[in-house]
Amino acid sequence: MEKKMTYEEAMKRLEEIVKKIESGEMDIDLLAQHLKEAKSLVEFCKEKLTNVEEEVKKCLDM
Amino acid sequence: MTLYELNGLVRQTLELTLDSSYWVQAEISELRVNRHCYLELVQKEERGGGLLAKARAQIWANRWAFIKAMFEQTTGQVLAAGMQVLVEVEVTFHELYGYSLNVVDIDPTYTLGDIAKRRQEILRQLEEEGISTMNKELPLPRLLQRVAVISSASAAGYGDFCNQLMHNKRGLAFKTELFPATMQGNEVEHSVIAALNRIAKQLDEWDAVVIIRGGGATSDLQGFDSLALAENVAQFPLPIITGIGHERDDTVIDLIAHTRVKTPTAAAEFLIHHQEEELDTLEDLAARLTESVRDTLQEETTRLKLLSSKIPLLFSEVKAREGVRIQRLTNLLANSSIQYIEQAKGKVDLLHQQLMLHAPMLVRNEQKRMELIESKLRSAQPDHILRLGFSIARVNGKAIKDASEVKEGDEIETTLAVGKVKSVVKS
Repeated sequence: MEKKMTYEEAMKRLEEIVKKIESGEMDIDLLAQHLKEAKSLVEFCKEKLTNVEEEVKKCLDM
Repeated sequence: MTLYELNGLVRQTLELTLDSSYWVQAEISELRVNRHCYLELVQKEERGGGLLAKARAQIWANRWAFIKAMFEQTTGQVLAAGMQVLVEVEVTFHELYGYSLNVVDIDPTYTLGDIAKRRQEILRQLEEEGISTMNKELPLPRLLQRVAVISSASAAGYGDFCNQLMHNKRGLAFKTELFPATMQGNEVEHSVIAALNRIAKQLDEWDAVVIIRGGGATSDLQGFDSLALAENVAQFPLPIITGIGHERDDTVIDLIAHTRVKTPTAAAEFLIHHQEEELDTLEDLAARLTESVRDTLQEETTRLKLLSSKIPLLFSEVKAREGVRIQRLTNLLANSSIQYIEQAKGKVDLLHQQLMLHAPMLVRNEQKRMELIESKLRSAQPDHILRLGFSIARVNGKAIKDASEVKEGDEIETTLAVGKVKSVVKS
């Protein structure tokens, strides 16, 4: 996943992956790879919403 | 006549000629409360705004308590400078203090009507400019967490807002910064526009703007009914959420802003709700992801099982088929081997026959060759050579092949084809 991805881009990508898997269009060979990507997207978005990252940074800066 | 007498005459004349009270339309240009309420009433030109008339006025403390409460209850606003009012006044003239109006009653609906008229005018103007819905049409960003707040630093509203925002149940992160502004009185327009401009200089830093006003049920909201401020809000590039209005009353800014809520707390709730929905969407996606992956795997496993269950049957079929094929090939191999051996045997026989046929001929040929060689050998005998005229010279019975083998006086015996000659070596 690219570093500079915005939240909106990440959500769009995530929705895309979920739809693809749900529709059964997903190649089983790529399933694990996409699942891995989706998992990191979920973490990325969740972190953005709750911003664990920024809290950590603040703590480190002190 | 003294001045006092003259002023007294004016007073008496007024008292005699005027009715006891009049309902008068005017604009409050100044208002000051010091137990009693002291006003300056003006009338401006329709165009240009120049003053046409001006009068001092006052509301005595006992009336003020009643008028204030009644006005605020009806309009939701405090009586303030800049308002158009319809007041019942008694005209007074005092020998020392001169002309002034004594306000005894007020019609709040007139003021409401005027405010409404002014708002309508501003809204019409914005529509004409084609900008009235611009801020409303801005999409709310999905990640709405960096909030620029315009409020007065001192009011409880900002504190309530931050407190509510930071202590949300699901640990949503928000970043807020206060852009202080005056939230009542004549300074509102200028002050809020200045705050918006400060935010506009760092647009990338913010997802939305919140304009909130803390405090009581009533306030001087007139400043928010401003065309310039409305234009700024309408055209601001970030969505603006307002919490400045009143239970019964929306200012123009409330109507123009992206979203309007009642209180600072409600503004915080709005933001939290928006982000909660986003978190729900995310969690739903994650759940669907897990589920659909599990389903897919389940399906594949079932498919695999089904296929693998077919294998033994398929295998036995294949085995049987292959068995037949092997048998057939084995037979074929046996047959063709026998055939091959037969053929080979035939060839050997043929060769044998040929050999039998050719062998005697070969022997005969060889005999002939031997005879030829014998005759050739015979022609190479010494007497055959001697007959050709050659002779053999011997000394002491030994054939001479080199002149140095003989010396003077040696007797040479020369053998010819017929007979021998003896001779002595002279030199």
